[in-house]
Amino acid sequence: MKGTRARGLTLHISLIAGVLVSLFPFYWTVVMSTHSSTEIFQYPPKLLPGSHFDENVHHLFQKIDFFGSMFNTLIVAVSVTFLVLFFDSLAAFVFAKFHFPGRRALFVIMMGIFMVPAQLQAIPQFVIMAKLGWIGSLTSLVVPAAANAFGIFWMRQYMKGSIHDELMDSSRLDGCGFLRQYWHVALPVVRPGLAFLGIFTFMAQWNDYAWPLIALINPDHVTLQVALSQLNSVNGTTDYGMVMAGALLALIPLLVVFFIGARQIMADLAKGAIR
Amino acid sequence: MTGVGAAPTLGAPADDGVRSVPARAKPRSVLGHWRLYLAISPFYLLFLCFGLIPVGFSLYLSFHRWDGLGSMEYAGLSQYRYLLSDGQFWNSLTNTLIIWAIATLPMLFIALVTAVMLNSAVRFKNFYRFAYFLPNVTSVVAVAIIFTSIFSTNFGLANAVLQGLGLDQVAWLNTDWGIKISIAVLMTWQWTGYNALIFLTGLQTIPSELYEAARVDGAGPVQTFFRITVPMMRPIILFTLVVSTVTGLQSFTEPQVLLANTNNTSTFAGGPGNSGQTMVLYFFQQSFDNNDFGYGAAIAWGIFLVVAIFSIVNWRLVQRGEK
Amino acid sequence: MHLSRRALLYAGLATTATAALGGTTAGCSVPNGSTGRNMTLWYWTGGLSDKVVADAKKRFTDISLKPAQIGGYFKSKLLTTMTGRAYVPDITGLKGEDMASYLPNAEQFIDLRTLGAEKLKDQYLPWKWAEGIAPDGSMIGFPIDTGPVAHYFMPEVFDRAGLPTDPADVGKEMDTWEKYLAAGERLKKKVRGAHMVIDALTIYQYMIAQGTQRYVDEERRFIGDHEHVRRAWNMAIDAYERGLCSRYQSGTPDGNAAIENGLLPSQIGASWVAGDLKLTVPKTKGKWRVAALPGGPANNGGSFLAITKSCRQPELAFEIVTWLLNADNQTRGFTDATLFPSTPASYQQEAMRAPDPFFGGQATIDVFGPTAEKIPIAYHSPYDYPLDQAVSDELRNVNALGKDPRRAWKDAMAKCRRIADHLGVLT
Repeated sequence: MKGTRARGLTLHISLIAGVLVSLFPFYWTVVMSTHSSTEIFQYPPKLLPGSHFDENVHHLFQKIDFFGSMFNTLIVAVSVTFLVLFFDSLAAFVFAKFHFPGRRALFVIMMGIFMVPAQLQAIPQFVIMAKLGWIGSLTSLVVPAAANAFGIFWMRQYMKGSIHDELMDSSRLDGCGFLRQYWHVALPVVRPGLAFLGIFTFMAQWNDYAWPLIALINPDHVTLQVALSQLNSVNGTTDYGMVMAGALLALIPLLVVFFIGARQIMADLAKGAIR
Repeated sequence: MTGVGAAPTLGAPADDGVRSVPARAKPRSVLGHWRLYLAISPFYLLFLCFGLIPVGFSLYLSFHRWDGLGSMEYAGLSQYRYLLSDGQFWNSLTNTLIIWAIATLPMLFIALVTAVMLNSAVRFKNFYRFAYFLPNVTSVVAVAIIFTSIFSTNFGLANAVLQGLGLDQVAWLNTDWGIKISIAVLMTWQWTGYNALIFLTGLQTIPSELYEAARVDGAGPVQTFFRITVPMMRPIILFTLVVSTVTGLQSFTEPQVLLANTNNTSTFAGGPGNSGQTMVLYFFQQSFDNNDFGYGAAIAWGIFLVVAIFSIVNWRLVQRGEK
Repeated sequence: MHLSRRALLYAGLATTATAALGGTTAGCSVPNGSTGRNMTLWYWTGGLSDKVVADAKKRFTDISLKPAQIGGYFKSKLLTTMTGRAYVPDITGLKGEDMASYLPNAEQFIDLRTLGAEKLKDQYLPWKWAEGIAPDGSMIGFPIDTGPVAHYFMPEVFDRAGLPTDPADVGKEMDTWEKYLAAGERLKKKVRGAHMVIDALTIYQYMIAQGTQRYVDEERRFIGDHEHVRRAWNMAIDAYERGLCSRYQSGTPDGNAAIENGLLPSQIGASWVAGDLKLTVPKTKGKWRVAALPGGPANNGGSFLAITKSCRQPELAFEIVTWLLNADNQTRGFTDATLFPSTPASYQQEAMRAPDPFFGGQATIDVFGPTAEKIPIAYHSPYDYPLDQAVSDELRNVNALGKDPRRAWKDAMAKCRRIADHLGVLT
């Protein structure tokens, strides 16, 4: 028993060391968001939170419509996450567990698309969206992001490891059709994988910036990251305290989503033990 | 062009859920599988609508000269010929590969070990996962400010540690290797927790009976790790490797934020000697700083080719181990 | 808590529906330019005085002026809408460094001469005015601000090195780069660890900026190996080889600390560098003065407003532009956003003559004003940028990585010829 306890202690010490490294820059964000811009650049650097948080937040709310843009971001991120979870897991289920003509070719094409640098697309995509009349609306952000190769690839790999053939066979014998197999056999088993994909998609949408910056032309109707980008000044006189306060507040919804999702990732631990 | 070399391996996964299906199911026509095609169609439809035209446009662009506003001028293969003889492009390719190698491999290994530790920790699980995830969501501005101060020559944490160990200072952001290592450290910091989370998710699918059986057989933690964890996790490891390759070879934000302050005339220059200029940074420099969109498109296709080759090699290496 | 699949399904459907509905309502606007009721104005944070823009909104009531601050990489957004020919702004800011690349595409903008710009010409700095004019003679950019370059120095440290401390004396006694480097030599000897120049590149860049030519001439010929480039290169290398250049980088913690400790008592920079200094090294308040730049006046930065072809009411747009940028409002731009006016009349105004405590009560306009008025008219080619990159990168390799200067020059020229050739510039 003594050995186990020592091992447990080493485990926690290593984990805590990792936590400190991970947390430090986040802590720094907190510190910077509570100082005025001039204080941020002073030496030696300030290690403890200061007293300018209220002031920074006040400036922030004056400069941009923080909650309005956050609401837009929320709509986009939730819609995309939901669509991605459904379309990606459905396609992944097909790629992971069924055989049909053209499967290899289609999969290879999908992986090829995944490897095309995303930076190529802005100008032609803008033209297409303009023709569709979607520019300036949130639709232009939601629709193109509704399914992606990353998520299909991830769910396929995850399903290969976790949906066992016996399960598929027995459900088939029970007379389950394709959709019922997906809904009643696959989804419950891959919940942790879905939770990860959900967190990741939500996060990526929340932080997405390059395309929204181009597609959202109406200044009163932007997402949070686009609004935050307007805070950076060109002539080097950016108010970093305010920028940091904005960055910090923008993180809060992400952390909430992560908390919910992380519970899902862990939820099946107990079931796994029974299985 | 990706498919040629990869098709046989890509389509023949070794864990056998798939291959067994046709053996049992009656052969059916293409139409008989309509449900399956319908299920995978959304991705391909979206690609047709929003991806194919942009990709085709960029291909077209790469055979032209274009400043982004005026008329295009046909240039034949000259952009690609220039690419092949462009020392700065090859330099950016070398930089990208070096940074990718010194960032990705340690990162995935640390992530896997971290995930195993997280999985066996009983208390504070939620807190740990929360903390390890944070680097991935911390704002880029904050990360840039923090890491430039960590790697600053006289006041940086990195040099303070070196001096504590009795070693010389390193001008991190002013030397060839210093720049590459700094970028790799930044990437490792930002993505280790994320990968650990992926691995953790995969670890959940390993039946605990396997571990119990191993324990009964008297296997230690290291043996268990290599005999059970790694083989069972193979699909997930393959996933992280391919994704890290695709994203790592297209890295952009990390070098940009870290080196934007290095007295460059362009934020895409990648520091002294272009030592931290990755392929995508070079793409941006040519397209938007130099208004050379035709050449930018040619670079982008160069990037695609490199990414495809490396992903295929990785895929084959990992698949080979599977029996 | 445990989210059921069904609950998630409903929640997701609801938000997706919201997004789709939001899309249809926003999707009916007319896609190109002004509708007759709206006029959009694009600029970037700090590109115009927000207060002046707000006043313009109140003043021009025939239309509703919609100002938008565009974040991120401004040029990419503008180019995207212009090539996409949709949602192009009526009035847009153009950054000074991008100007040369817009000029060959003058047909995308309205020629401001047709709206009567010539009448206002003598109210603006002539060299700045010339920068907004395309090769075919049409005028596309109306001057916003400029960036006259000056020599910021710390008299206290100069005193210790036995150098002059009065701005007028510094300007006079260091009126050439040779004298500036000689002073650097003294500084190095008298003040331990101090450097006159932060980086050899500084000298090179401002010497080039002082000239009337860059790398390509009006006939599209490569002139990057001519005397004006060689002289600047050699001066920079000379400074480096004499040990007058530091290895600090501006804007980094090390660089800021060196400035604070008086180890970099001389900074060459545009008018807006004053703002940087106030922000990054606030402790040095009162310790700085401003003197004229060695080797003559130069400009760094400053931008323009343009009216695009998508604009349906060019006359009104022009009225707005000229009001936003008249001398009084440019003075306000200086007070609100440190935008240095391109209207010499502003330099006489009270607000610009106020003594600045950061500079020990000096009225810095006495240096910046005359500098701005004496900047030479120069030719900027759209190909200058990539060629300058090649040369500057090599100079940086010398200063930061210790590359052999002769080798660096050869490499720079070889690179330039390759790039010039690729871009269709005659070599």
